[in-house]
Amino acid sequence: MNEAQSTAVAELPTIADFARTFRRIQAEIHKVIIGHEQAVEELLSALFAGGHVLIEGVPGTGKTTLVKTLGLALNLSFNRIQFTVDLMPADITGTRVILSSSEGRREFSFQPGPIFCHILLGDEINRATPKTQSALLEAMAELQVTVSGTTYPLVPPYFVMATLNPIEMEGTYPLPEAQLDRFLFKVRLGYPGEAELVRIIGSTTGPDGAGVEPVFEPHEAALRIEALKRLVREVIVAPPIEQYAARMVRATQPANSRVLGDLHAPIVVDEVNRYVSFGASPRGALALILGAKVGALLDGRANIAYDDIDKVAAAALDHRIMLNYAAHTDNIDAAQIVQQVVKAVRVSRA
Amino acid sequence: MPETRRDEQKLWLILFQIKGVRSRLNFLAIQRWIFAALALLIGAVGLTFFAAATSGPLTFLAIAIFLMLVALLGVIRETIVVRATRITPARAAAIGDTRAQLKGRLTTVLALNATPRHSPLWAYLVEDTYGRREEFEPSRVAPRLLSRAFYPLLAAILLATLAVPAARFASAPRQRPARPGLNGPNQIIADIGNLDIRPADPALQPNAEIYADPATLKKLADKLAAAEKADRDRRPLSKLIDKARNFADAFQDKLNGLDPARPRPTQMRLTDRNPGPPSPPSDSDNSPNSGSTGNSGGSGLADNSHHGAPGSAPPGAAQNSPPPMTSLPPQQADELASKDSSPAPAPGSDQAPAAAQNQPKAGDPNAGGGSNHGSGSDPANLFGPASPLPLGSDSFKIAIEADPSDESTASGSPTYVPPRIRVPLNANQYPDQPLARAAVPAADQNIIKRVFQR
Repeated sequence: MNEAQSTAVAELPTIADFARTFRRIQAEIHKVIIGHEQAVEELLSALFAGGHVLIEGVPGTGKTTLVKTLGLALNLSFNRIQFTVDLMPADITGTRVILSSSEGRREFSFQPGPIFCHILLGDEINRATPKTQSALLEAMAELQVTVSGTTYPLVPPYFVMATLNPIEMEGTYPLPEAQLDRFLFKVRLGYPGEAELVRIIGSTTGPDGAGVEPVFEPHEAALRIEALKRLVREVIVAPPIEQYAARMVRATQPANSRVLGDLHAPIVVDEVNRYVSFGASPRGALALILGAKVGALLDGRANIAYDDIDKVAAAALDHRIMLNYAAHTDNIDAAQIVQQVVKAVRVSRA
Repeated sequence: MPETRRDEQKLWLILFQIKGVRSRLNFLAIQRWIFAALALLIGAVGLTFFAAATSGPLTFLAIAIFLMLVALLGVIRETIVVRATRITPARAAAIGDTRAQLKGRLTTVLALNATPRHSPLWAYLVEDTYGRREEFEPSRVAPRLLSRAFYPLLAAILLATLAVPAARFASAPRQRPARPGLNGPNQIIADIGNLDIRPADPALQPNAEIYADPATLKKLADKLAAAEKADRDRRPLSKLIDKARNFADAFQDKLNGLDPARPRPTQMRLTDRNPGPPSPPSDSDNSPNSGSTGNSGGSGLADNSHHGAPGSAPPGAAQNSPPPMTSLPPQQADELASKDSSPAPAPGSDQAPAAAQNQPKAGDPNAGGGSNHGSGSDPANLFGPASPLPLGSDSFKIAIEADPSDESTASGSPTYVPPRIRVPLNANQYPDQPLARAAVPAADQNIIKRVFQR
């Protein structure tokens, strides 16, 4: 019985277990990461919802440190890929090399790349070419890697965190929409405040770094995380809440979009029609619901509330909205659009 | 199995409480509809009463129609709103979630109650919701027993309560009898030169008696003829407005507690300060600019004081006159004057009231003269008791409707009291001079009747 099969029979934890484990991991991360409470919560939410995270932040805000700390706290295998312009797909996925066997025969053998792990950090993912970036697509969506016609499964839990530097645009390749859509959340890391900065200075310039204690034992980490992920899936969603999430996603789509099947939008947001080229895809609705489920469990509930959807809307929809030129000239970003959408959809609650 | 049963009982209790919330909210919605509708109607009725007491007939009619329309539209709107906001079980659960801060628990339990396959967390959800049952008790979700719409109803009742006495207070001067100082209550002395004569509604009952010498009466007949001609020239719209005015007037009287069927008769002594040969009705009399007609609310005679006296009618007001009543043709008036052998008392002399007191009252079966005494050609009114008065009396009376009102424009000036005159001839009658009636033998009555029926 491999690790993946063993997770399938793990006992379902209780809602209290989930909240307790979540808060403990959070506390361990905050031993190293000062501030960024919301970013850490969204990161863990994406992990337990079974998604991947795109972390956007200016240099020096602790993106890489955050991911490393998460790996330590979860006690899962962790790899880091520094994306550069000359990085090739095989450098990520692995490749077949000729090896000599013990009998002296030479044969092709697959050497797994850094993608084969539990937690993968793709640092500055937008520095690689689109071809290399797309090497992550199959792994992120289907938890498998195909090399030379052979498919290799990835071991769950599998969690990709990619970082983006929003201010260094020279020599970068913007992520294609298809790949952006595969990230469950986009987490923004801003500059810390003065008080947080003082704490960061104090904790990182001393002789000893903060020691992160793993929350799980190495042999049970994957099993327990998968069990917690299954619990998230069991959270109950009432049809009105599903409808609310769908309406929110639909409201991000401009009325004049050529790709719309249903031209009659129940909720029309002026800002969307003015500034958005393409709205969120159906994956956006899934992200809303999954993120809201984690929020419900953290609140000790077995059901989703409207507020849970609103709470994750920014993280779930921000990177799925493609703005047009007018938005750039008017200095409008996707977060503002999402804010307007949430405000407009909120009035339609049952 | 007992565990499952307990879970079902808890679920049933949760659903029962949601039903309770729904019933309570629907009850409040029905209350709102009833209270709002009553408030609108009571407010409209109160304001209508007030308008009836303080406004003229046409203004009152417009206000009453407006108020009734507002009330009707308000009731319709309230009905639509209440229908749209009627509480379904899902809505009751959502309201319970919001007010009890249950974060979608009730909505989820209600929505997924009938789902055959439940999540492993379903039992937790039911238990969790059941544990908070006190938070979503109907009395906590909807603590009010009385809808807020009760306050508008109270306000409307208060408004109506104030409006009715205010209306009585405002209408008191109108209901007051004719000003004392003329010739006692309901006795008016008017100069024929100041009279603006307009035809009255034939359906109205007489409530005024006019006393005058024959010459003055002839002038009155001339004026009547002029008014009749002017009335014939009026447009249909004017007649329609008159009808509306009459309707509004009657309605106003009802609201003000006046009994139009039993009006207090007004006795008017008609004088002529400028005696001269009676002038035949001329076109100038019928001209709208002649000032011979006024706006006395459809009454038969209205005082049109000269020299810009209060109550003078604006030019063109003649077109708004009511349908024609009757008037004496000039030749009949001349005949009347020639038959009158007795000297007429001087205008304003002391004999006039005495003579008026000797006259039979309107409606008296023994009354002589006038259209309600068998004169005319109506077969139904041919016969009656004989007139006790000798023919050729120096005065006779005709019934008019007169309603004194204060329309003075200048402070301190004498109150203008427009008489309302009407001659109750029906459509089959024509103006006639007053003739004494003799008793007709019963054997001849059928023959005479047949003759008139031809």
